[in-house]
Amino acid sequence: MQGGNAMYKLLSAFIGALIALMIPLNGILAEVIGNYNASVLIHIVGLIAVIIILLVGKFKIKIRKGIPLYLYSAGAIGVFTVLFTNVSFSTLGVSLTIALGLLGQSITSIVIDHFGLLGMKAVKFEKKKMVGLLLIAFGIIVMNIY
Amino acid sequence: MLYICIAILAGCSIVIARVINANLATRIGIFQGTFFNYVTGLAFSLLFLVFSNESFNMSYTTLQSIPFLAYLGGLVGVVVIGLSNYIIPKISSFYLTLLIFIGQLGMGVILDFFNSHEISIGKIIGGLLVLMGLTYNLVIDRADIPVQNKKQAY
Repeated sequence: MQGGNAMYKLLSAFIGALIALMIPLNGILAEVIGNYNASVLIHIVGLIAVIIILLVGKFKIKIRKGIPLYLYSAGAIGVFTVLFTNVSFSTLGVSLTIALGLLGQSITSIVIDHFGLLGMKAVKFEKKKMVGLLLIAFGIIVMNIY
Repeated sequence: MLYICIAILAGCSIVIARVINANLATRIGIFQGTFFNYVTGLAFSLLFLVFSNESFNMSYTTLQSIPFLAYLGGLVGVVVIGLSNYIIPKISSFYLTLLIFIGQLGMGVILDFFNSHEISIGKIIGGLLVLMGLTYNLVIDRADIPVQNKKQAY
């Protein structure tokens, strides 16, 4: 992998482990108060936590000019993720939603890497990598069908 | 077909949000970026709640009835976004997606085991296939780097 090292890879996998912990926790919340209420509450808890971090660490928030407005849209897109997931969960079921979501994630990342979109470094896609991709896709299918 | 597209879009939106947020974070700081992620996220969550068929359900008694553990999901989310903001500029988007997926899968198997004391064979076989594919592509990358270096040397 260009420009990466073992620590970054480990941290990336750690993020995944945290997500696996987070999903059932948020799931409990959604079951008790509903999907959209849960989304609001999760963001309130998160916002309070970030504000505490900013205060304790004495980080300053500067409103800087020249930052394109779309860079502030990530939080909004995240809420759309929740909405899309809820809609497809109810009709397609859990496994298929996850598998198709992973497909969407892989395609999007490859496109972003290949063209260096959204300020990312361009990492050209090589045809040889199709073999690895097919193995990955097959693995995802096995996991979800079983 | 519509729902299949929506499920794929959910995956797309995850990656796009992650990259955009990390971009903001490199300009204004990791925690400042996380802060704005939660501000816009909260604003849109409230909008969605207003236009959904759910009624506002956060009275003091309801909030008290929620198990404390369930509140921790929001905290874990902050760590996830903060760490992502740190790591994204340093690693290719595709490998980040795969490594996160591997971590998620591994933790999923562990959590399943603690819940039901069963290990899903399908998940392990599938996970191994994913690992094989990832390793294969990593080896291709490794093989390419020295070639590029040689070209630069000449």
